[in-house]
Amino acid sequence: MMGPTMDCTVLERPGRWRAAATIAILSLAVLPAVPLLGRSLAGVTDGASFAGPGFLNALGGSLAVAGAVAANAYAVGLPAGVLAALYEFPGRRLLLGLSTLPLIAPSFLWAIGWSKLAAWIGPRAPEALSSLGPHLVFGALTVPLVLWASFAATSALTRSQIDAARLAGGEKAVLSNAARQAAVPALLAAVLGGVLTLSDAGPDQIFGSNRVASQILVSFSALHDYELAGRQCVLLAGAVLALALPISVLAAPRIAAAALPRQVEGPVRLRVRTAAVAGEAFFLAMTLLGTALPLLGLALPLLDETGFDRAFAIAERTLGDTLVYAGVGGTVAVVLGFTTAAAVGREHRLRKFAIAFSIAAFSLPPSLAALGVIRLASQAPAGMDFLLRSKATVCLGHGLRLLPVAFFLGLRSWAGMPPSWALAAAVHGVPPATYIVRVVLPHLAPAGIAAFLLVALLSAADLTTVLLLHPPGASSLSLSVFTVMANARESLVASLCLIYFAFALTALVFGWAATRVVSPTRKEGTPPPKERPAR
Amino acid sequence: MKLRSALSLAGPIAALSLLALGPSGCGRPAPHVVVYTSVDEVFARPVAESFTRETGIEVRLVPDTEETKSTGLLNRLIAEKERPQADVFWSGDPVRAALLKMKGVSAPYRSTRSEGLPREFSDPEDHWTGFSARARVLIYNRNLVPEGREPRSVMDLLDPRFQGKACIANPLFGTTSMHAAALFAVLRDEKAMAFFEGFRKNGGKMLSSNGEVRRRVADGEMAVGITDTDDANVARLEKKPIGVVYPDQGGMGTLIVPNCSVLIARGPNPEAGRAFIDYLLRPETEEALARSDAAQMPLRKGVPVPEGVTPLDRLKPMAVDYETLAPRLTSLFWVIEPGKELTAGFLKEWAERAQ
Repeated sequence: MMGPTMDCTVLERPGRWRAAATIAILSLAVLPAVPLLGRSLAGVTDGASFAGPGFLNALGGSLAVAGAVAANAYAVGLPAGVLAALYEFPGRRLLLGLSTLPLIAPSFLWAIGWSKLAAWIGPRAPEALSSLGPHLVFGALTVPLVLWASFAATSALTRSQIDAARLAGGEKAVLSNAARQAAVPALLAAVLGGVLTLSDAGPDQIFGSNRVASQILVSFSALHDYELAGRQCVLLAGAVLALALPISVLAAPRIAAAALPRQVEGPVRLRVRTAAVAGEAFFLAMTLLGTALPLLGLALPLLDETGFDRAFAIAERTLGDTLVYAGVGGTVAVVLGFTTAAAVGREHRLRKFAIAFSIAAFSLPPSLAALGVIRLASQAPAGMDFLLRSKATVCLGHGLRLLPVAFFLGLRSWAGMPPSWALAAAVHGVPPATYIVRVVLPHLAPAGIAAFLLVALLSAADLTTVLLLHPPGASSLSLSVFTVMANARESLVASLCLIYFAFALTALVFGWAATRVVSPTRKEGTPPPKERPAR
Repeated sequence: MKLRSALSLAGPIAALSLLALGPSGCGRPAPHVVVYTSVDEVFARPVAESFTRETGIEVRLVPDTEETKSTGLLNRLIAEKERPQADVFWSGDPVRAALLKMKGVSAPYRSTRSEGLPREFSDPEDHWTGFSARARVLIYNRNLVPEGREPRSVMDLLDPRFQGKACIANPLFGTTSMHAAALFAVLRDEKAMAFFEGFRKNGGKMLSSNGEVRRRVADGEMAVGITDTDDANVARLEKKPIGVVYPDQGGMGTLIVPNCSVLIARGPNPEAGRAFIDYLLRPETEEALARSDAAQMPLRKGVPVPEGVTPLDRLKPMAVDYETLAPRLTSLFWVIEPGKELTAGFLKEWAERAQ
């Protein structure tokens, strides 16, 4: 039974529980890393150098690469997302889908593709690739994040808002308003993408670049000096936090504007020639650089021979566990991320803190938390193995690591909900449980599915968490590709890569279909609007 | 209705996922052994499967590869030391096996099946036992290096004829790190440092892995490189235009990199672990590894080998004490003086410059 004060407005009212719940859930994301971080910082009193020589240079270089990746992705993803949301052009849906493809495979796979393509082109191409490669791979991974954030933000504009802008200043005003609406979510997405590059050492291993991720990897893998690696991670997180603070201050109040309850009709896409040409050009360039060219590089060895028999055997052994890690990891991240978003609500100070904390936590390499979990498990009684040494451990590892991704999408979706809905429900005596099931969850469902898909794809592509935490005999497909890619025949590696790609693509198509099933915006049978000329 | 549709999709998926997370079977688990291995999965799995066929003991293989430099299995083994999950570590080289001994992760075990294996490739205290080996070889592209001008020594990488055309993998990782430590042990510090500096002065390239060295030489982007015999054999099987040279046969010799079996202290299935090690050390396993794509050379005399695999008794091996390579490697990474600032050791600093 609900008490007399527990009405639907509790979801909108301020309260101390919000800060407590937000801190509790977000702390979970860094909790496994805390023992190692604590020991690392304690080591400084012994006179050991804080992060080792050369680290600060690498940190500067990495931040520069991350900044450039974020800026480029912003410059490409924002206009592309806005154009795709506002205008109709041939193949728009297909091109939108294709633009997501870089996200479905691990970064090292694309790096291999580029590397093989460069070798095929000629002897000078690999030289050029060593500096350009990280930008190409990380840029291709970050652009879809920015694009979809911009697309979602623009799609949240109502038809009346767009019509008003068009009447006031034509297409220029529409574009300008839409870009303003999408600017902050796109910025957050670009920052997340940039931060993601900081702890990803995969492409460095292929292109031979010396970034902070490689330095931490050397400390972990070659030197087995966990304390040093821990201190390097602290320094990295500190630098990211310093950069994230102003962004969170800027983003927190503008991440989403609550819609008015009657503004339910979404924008109608028009056919405007200039916009169509620009949209097509953006998307074709993205598809070519993000997917087509590296995929061609991956497939080149198949011209000589194929290795599909062996590759299918590996896929058969690992596909089930990959799906479990991705599916449950995605579920954990969505549940925790959206709960945090609900706890943060519309409190700006809490939102600033949560955004900054999430970005900093996201910069920590996954190995830090994974090694913390291993140590915990080795000291815990065997009875805890079901949680600390099982497939559930991998899923929790993924869910907690990628919680910030789901949190940002949840935050946006929650903040876009009209607060008057809760008020109206309370006035009419609707029980909170009914309100949540009938109103809140359907509103959050599209963002929830998008977050689930994104986290699931990133989980499926993860290597470190799976390598360090998977129970013996329960590897994942991406880890299998990683463990055979050095010494196996190129045809086997190429076959495995293509199988991985096909598998992820299928999952993406299913997810896309699911999003369309639950999308609340469109009514079938609505006649298309009349075409308007561009001004 | 929309939410109901979503739940009808998500419900079964979540239920299936939760089922999949549960224990894989009821009652007593089937006999099994947990094997962590840094040997590439494509080579390790067939041996594990044949062990299962012959003994009925399931092998739960956790593969990694030293080539790809993940924050990998060795860290996992060290971190799990208090209550290990692994019974056996099948190492691709003796340095990592020696490191486990240093960290107190391994237990001594002398298998009855180790007879005939040369003792110089094993730990004197039986913490690790060497068997089938790879060698560190020079590979060159036959289209770029004319006959009679092939490299014969690792020192040839400093020769002007290979200027800007020679490559090695990152010496902080894998067998290249072991090779670097061995060069410092055999040549002494001054000459070894001169080799690495000379390599850079001659325009030599540091690549990410031995596999990358194989690929770039095979594709003709580089003329010559140092890699392992298994990489070279894969290029040979792919019919790439490469030649292979066992270096320094008239000088310091070729570095031999044996596989090592390590019994993990306090492993959960010690009997099965010992049985697996016994299986690894049989002459038949050496023969199988020689016939595989890895083309590993048997350490025992008299084990039949296919064409293309050079038996050990036809080579001059580099004279190194494997036990001492692990601490030597650490000193090459860092210079640690009590009370003073930690400074980069020669190799780490060299690798950073080379990047």
